[in-house]
Amino acid sequence: MPPIDCEDQELLDGFLAETTELLEKLDDDLITLEKSSDDTDLMNRIFRSIHTIKGASSFLGFDLLVKVAHKTEDVLNRLRKGELVVNPEIMDVILEATDLVKLLVGDIKAGDIQERETEGTINKLLPFLLDTAGASQVAAAALQPPAPTPPTAIETPTVTNTPEATSDSAPAPSTAPVPAPKPVSEAAPKKVAPPPKPAEGKGGDDLSDNTTVRVDVKRLDDLMNQVGELVLERNRMIQINQDLQQNDANRADFNEEFGKLTKRMSFVTSELQMQVLKMRMIPVEKVFKKFPRIVRSMSRDLGKEVDLQIVGEETELDRSVVDEIGDPLIHLIRNAMDHGLETPDERLAAGKSRGGTLVLAAVHEGNQIIISIKDDGRGIDTERVGRKAIEKGLITEDQFTAMSQREVFDLLFLPGFSTKEKATDLSGRGVGMDVVKTNIKKLNGLIEIKSAKGLGSEFILRLPLTLAIIQSLLVEVEGEIYSIPLSSVLETIRVDQRQFHQIGGQEVLKLRDIVLPLIRLQKVFNVQQRGESDNFCYVVVVGAAEKRMGLVVTRLVGQQEVAIKSLGNYLANIPGIAGSTILGDGRVALIIDPVAMSEVCE
Amino acid sequence: MQNSLVVVKADDSHDELIQLVSFNLDQEEYGVDVLKVREIIRMPIITRVPNTPHYVEGVINLRGKVVPIICMRKKFGLIESENDKQTRIMVMDMDGELMGFIVDAVSEVIRISGSEIQPSPAVVAGGIDQECIAGVINQAERLLVLLNLEKMFSRDEKNLFTGM
Repeated sequence: MPPIDCEDQELLDGFLAETTELLEKLDDDLITLEKSSDDTDLMNRIFRSIHTIKGASSFLGFDLLVKVAHKTEDVLNRLRKGELVVNPEIMDVILEATDLVKLLVGDIKAGDIQERETEGTINKLLPFLLDTAGASQVAAAALQPPAPTPPTAIETPTVTNTPEATSDSAPAPSTAPVPAPKPVSEAAPKKVAPPPKPAEGKGGDDLSDNTTVRVDVKRLDDLMNQVGELVLERNRMIQINQDLQQNDANRADFNEEFGKLTKRMSFVTSELQMQVLKMRMIPVEKVFKKFPRIVRSMSRDLGKEVDLQIVGEETELDRSVVDEIGDPLIHLIRNAMDHGLETPDERLAAGKSRGGTLVLAAVHEGNQIIISIKDDGRGIDTERVGRKAIEKGLITEDQFTAMSQREVFDLLFLPGFSTKEKATDLSGRGVGMDVVKTNIKKLNGLIEIKSAKGLGSEFILRLPLTLAIIQSLLVEVEGEIYSIPLSSVLETIRVDQRQFHQIGGQEVLKLRDIVLPLIRLQKVFNVQQRGESDNFCYVVVVGAAEKRMGLVVTRLVGQQEVAIKSLGNYLANIPGIAGSTILGDGRVALIIDPVAMSEVCE
Repeated sequence: MQNSLVVVKADDSHDELIQLVSFNLDQEEYGVDVLKVREIIRMPIITRVPNTPHYVEGVINLRGKVVPIICMRKKFGLIESENDKQTRIMVMDMDGELMGFIVDAVSEVIRISGSEIQPSPAVVAGGIDQECIAGVINQAERLLVLLNLEKMFSRDEKNLFTGM
């Protein structure tokens, strides 16, 4: 394929966007189809998708893609007409074909179109077309799988990897079934096709496109309205400023006008902010929908029966979060499938139903989204985890005996930790949980593990809805302003310092029925005392996971919505500091990380 | 002085011309590659960042970006001085990240040819880490220490920043 010239670039972009979207949906639909094979609407939708892909790619001249799509379409057509019945074997092949399509689309997207081996996959499709296929096709298909004709040098002189040759050498779809001129010589002899392998691992992920976004026209219109209002307010502001400079307005008038303007401005900006935030929100379905496919292929590989239930896939959260949770979730699902769930025989022996259940759920809770992965498998064997950790020299025997269940679960997140004797394709290298932890930490999220031996495990992820803007409580510590995320603030109290008690060198405060450990921010942050100290101070009670503590500050400044700014690489890991923000007066204020703060003080 | 530079350049046509921003720090004059300098600003309000090395003065708001500020005098172990009208922050590009350095004064942009750079003598300007000194430029009336700020922080220090 010659390099695409500028004119076609727009067409191509459109094609890629559309195809990617169709393919994303296709996977999910196919899995659903396997379960409910009599759903004709679904069947038709799948058929249409692949048909659209075929049509568009033939228009743009991606012959290889057309070829694969065409054959897939043929098989689907027979399924649709009821000439074939959906079964796992057909599904495997169709999925393999869609993977190949993805791979080819991926190539086009990367601008690096190469000759891929497609015959293997197409050959697998062909048998399903046999029964009523035309005589020539039967002959071709029958002849083909066992002994594919070697490439004839005369017919296809320079095929391998010469981009221009693609269109010439690839047989036109209409005459496709006879693969007499084998385009790729080395791939021909083997029937088991190599391309689907890379496709399974990478193709799917590479395709998910994060550079473009589809926005509801209504939301866009609303946004335009808000911007219009903002422009009006700006004009008003210019007017007021001019009036003041030309002394047309007296001070009192100006004050009043400016006050009004400020209110309107703040109203419009907060509306605008909401709108933009809403636009950034996408349903978590975007991530969830690739899981049925993964679970299906894994359960077939592992010989386990798994029923994946997805709950709350319509829950919306920020794009930035959605982009980050994909990988951790895949690792958690893999773990649940591989380590958690038992094989049917083991399950029956344990008095459970043959098939295991895996529940993937998403739900909003306040300013957070909670995603949980729950299986009814064998649960986490703390004893075994401990043994393994001792074996690997991560902890000592004594340490293990002193550990609580929770601490043992924490061992799972150590890099390099795995209970598997041997690393397999699926798991065992000890990377997965480390990835989970790193990604969730990056998102300011929390992981919680619940597990009961023999009954199953649940991994609960708590994530912030958005990373960009948070509500915060501004506090003053001896003249320095700090910001505490409001989501972790439980209450604030004004107390007399004489009420503080000392327990083993730790200052505490009796707060109703609990004893609250206190952290003096002034001490932790080495703030210099200025002026004489007042006996009264404020205590901000914060909660991090299940811990409670009180941060002692000089004064509360107020509540404000702040945009989080990173401190950059050099200052990224200051203990107790999560980031920074810019205040109304242009100064920088540091954002306190309550979770890290509790660790600092331990 | 410009003329003398041109002459030097004519002598050795293979030499490339380097542009340096020169600045002062405790009587001495230093130079850094002009391409690394993003901007030069006056002292804004600096927010202190706790639990950082002593030479990290804090962070500033540079038009919506939060930029860390390093005090050059403290970093080089020189006597601290009050900020005055001449004090400037040089915002530099350090491996793609912005970082500001407080210097006594920024004087000018000078051109030199590569051949004028001499290796630094064993001991220079007491206390400055040898690592980041790329060389010295010895011209008739001035001595200029050429700094390579990307080598300013040793590996240990970088770890200190990120691993504390």
